[in-house]
Amino acid sequence: MQEPSNTIFKESSPGPTDLDLELELGSTNNYSSHSHSHSRSHSHSYSHSHSHSHSYSRSQKQQAVVSDFLNSHIVTDEVLKQPSSHHHHQHQHLSTLPITINRNSLGAATSTAITGSSTVSTEHKYCYRHNPNIRCNRTADERKMTEIQKQLEKMPRRDQEAITHVWSIFSAAPNQHRSLILQGLLTQCCFPQLSMISQEVSQLIKIDFIETLPNELALKVLCYLDCQSLCNAAQVSTKWKKLADDDRVWKYMCEQHIDRKCPQCGWGLPLLAVKKLRQQETVKSRKRKIEEVEEEEDSLENLPPRLDDTKTKVMTEKCMIQKQMRKTRPWKAVYSERYQVERNWRKGVYQIRPFLGHDDGVLCCQYDNGKLLMTGSYDKTIKIWNVETGELIRTLRGHTRGVKTLAFDDQKLISGGFDNTIKVWNYRTGDCISTYTGHEEGVTTVDFHNKVIVSGSADHTVKVWHVETRTCYTLRGHSGWVTCVKMDPKSGTIFSASEDSTIRIWDLDTNKCLKTLGGIESNGHIGQIQSIIPFTVKDTLTTEVDDVVNSPSDQIHEEQADDDEELLDIPNLPTHLLSASLDNTIKLWDVKTGKCVRTQFGHIEGVWSIAADTFRIVSGAHDKLIKVWDLQTGNCMHTFGGNVSPVSCVALGDSRFFCGLENGEVKMYTFDTCSNSGVTTSPVSARARLVGH
Amino acid sequence: MPATEKNIIIITSDGERFPVERKVAEKSILIKNMLKNLLPDEGEEDDDDDEDPDSDADEPIEVPTQNVRSAVMKNILEWCEHYKEIQFPDDEQDDESKKSAPIDPWDKNFLNVDQEMLYEIILAANYLNIKPLLNASCKVVAEMIRSKSPEEIRKTFNIVNDFTPEEEAAIKRENEWAEDR
Repeated sequence: MQEPSNTIFKESSPGPTDLDLELELGSTNNYSSHSHSHSRSHSHSYSHSHSHSHSYSRSQKQQAVVSDFLNSHIVTDEVLKQPSSHHHHQHQHLSTLPITINRNSLGAATSTAITGSSTVSTEHKYCYRHNPNIRCNRTADERKMTEIQKQLEKMPRRDQEAITHVWSIFSAAPNQHRSLILQGLLTQCCFPQLSMISQEVSQLIKIDFIETLPNELALKVLCYLDCQSLCNAAQVSTKWKKLADDDRVWKYMCEQHIDRKCPQCGWGLPLLAVKKLRQQETVKSRKRKIEEVEEEEDSLENLPPRLDDTKTKVMTEKCMIQKQMRKTRPWKAVYSERYQVERNWRKGVYQIRPFLGHDDGVLCCQYDNGKLLMTGSYDKTIKIWNVETGELIRTLRGHTRGVKTLAFDDQKLISGGFDNTIKVWNYRTGDCISTYTGHEEGVTTVDFHNKVIVSGSADHTVKVWHVETRTCYTLRGHSGWVTCVKMDPKSGTIFSASEDSTIRIWDLDTNKCLKTLGGIESNGHIGQIQSIIPFTVKDTLTTEVDDVVNSPSDQIHEEQADDDEELLDIPNLPTHLLSASLDNTIKLWDVKTGKCVRTQFGHIEGVWSIAADTFRIVSGAHDKLIKVWDLQTGNCMHTFGGNVSPVSCVALGDSRFFCGLENGEVKMYTFDTCSNSGVTTSPVSARARLVGH
Repeated sequence: MPATEKNIIIITSDGERFPVERKVAEKSILIKNMLKNLLPDEGEEDDDDDEDPDSDADEPIEVPTQNVRSAVMKNILEWCEHYKEIQFPDDEQDDESKKSAPIDPWDKNFLNVDQEMLYEIILAANYLNIKPLLNASCKVVAEMIRSKSPEEIRKTFNIVNDFTPEEEAAIKRENEWAEDR
């Protein structure tokens, strides 16, 4: 439907040339905002003249012939058919061209002045290589031009003229002619010549995508990169640095990696929220702190779940820290800090701080990912430590025998001991608020949520204490010591582990046992289970059942759902469970099917304690070793020796873990970067000593 | 080819006409929305022959795309043709798993073109609003950048290092933390 234009080049098309995609890069970057309602009409006004005002072609007049040729990306003129349109089209070759191609649509040669030309306006649409707002990235041309010029000058004058003439014709030709000329030339080429062209062309077609693409597309490209590639990209050029350091890219990177494993690169970064927060909060009163925590509580549901008991706390901190980060720090810095901590975890770069004070074996410890570490011991005391300074904040006395278990949140601490009692403490004042008796033997494990306490005992029972209604239910079923209980308020269940080598899941409302995990047919433990952690993952975990890593979208072990086993179908039930046993292994269970899907070997004596977060499992065993495992793969990442005594308990934070030993030692292994490490000797903690490793 | 099948004529900037099936053309959300406005009666259906008794159905519809030249459009339509039976979600918010997924092997091979063509495919996919193609082509560019040193990146895209040696050293230091993973 194309009308022939009335120019001396009849076939001149109204479309752009190959170099000439109608872009608006420099101006609005709004490539997709063209109006299409009237685009069916051919009279759409694509005023399309090109400005070839390269400054360098002016400066190189001594190489006039060659440079003119190379610079004259001749572009067809547009034919405006709208009657109201101004009928002038011009090529503005500021350098002297071999052939003048100024012309208008009526075929009359004109010499439209550059000035006063209405085509040099905002409507001007440049080919992206010629948009004056964009730095042309073909500087290599200059070298090439000089080279060509030299070769040309070596030739006899006659040849020079002939060659120049060929170039001139080509340079004056409109796009369609050029294509035709080139195609004709190609047919005449032999293979070596084609090979030469092929090589030259592959060198020539190099486009600085990041610079020339509209910013939002350049950022989109950068978002597909990993952090190392982004950091390399930032070193390429000024423009690349600007885009590769862009906060939007790094915010996306943070979203992809912080507190979750990136499916693409396999890295996940710790939250690291609390430490910073604490630093900022040191001046605030404690009351203020609690108020803030409460304020933030509302937004918790939107965040991904955490594995450990301190999730509420940690997630609260996350909200707050993200708020503060956004105001104050570039996302790249946020990412960088966490990246370095994670690298220390992976490489095993750490420092150790001992906490000295217990007179007898340490039985339990808990860390809230903040400032506080609490430990319970055979010496009948609970000790509260400031992990930043190493200072012993308080010693709680009251239990008449060893303290076997403890759990704390913002307000209270609950402990259980071999004196058969459960005690509730206000740990800020040190007061014991209440004592629960009922178990006939030592209380070996406690957990709580709101006003419900769950305990397990050497008397083989689990007890559920409803504090508000002052009722206590006893859950019977285990045939050995109950060593670990975990409440899962979301699904209304309790998980209990026992020295009878089984794990039971109980209904919190009916107090009925829903399921028992264990036995040879489920590939269960063959020794006493000491520690369990129910959790929910969206990522795929490496398991032995499949032996291959599922694609992330797959539901784990969905295929197994059809066997005879009764499946638990409870909303919000944790998907997985980790267990540690005196049979030297750590097992991963699929809660729904009740089967063990992975067994982690490595400890050479019984595993007393495990802790886990989104990325890692830390385990402490009777073999005096502490191991850090990758949660997803189950691979052992590091083994920490050097203990003189069996490890009875472990606790895990974002950038550190803790262990309590049978000889009374408590140690912190911190993977913080040196610059922001909390491990510095402080005047108030004369007993804390930094041991470099 | 029966007119009922290939009754959308896409006209490129250089005037070439590409007759395509409607469902091929509608891989472009831009064209899809445009057709929806032009032919409100036909609704969303993709069926060919007897889909619409209306007389309009037989009449080819011309869709000018003045931002895309024919060589690029040829590629774009090859992509659309390949995926014509696959339903992509219209909305922007594709889930993250897709974002981090590796490039589909077919796409990767399809996009094994020179940088100029890749560049124009990106712009055309953006303009025509073909999200999966845009994503794939941006990923290809990202793969060209990935795991390269700054100098190798400059070489790949013919970029001039416009930093002073002092600046370059400072920026290198600034980014050292990411090395040595």
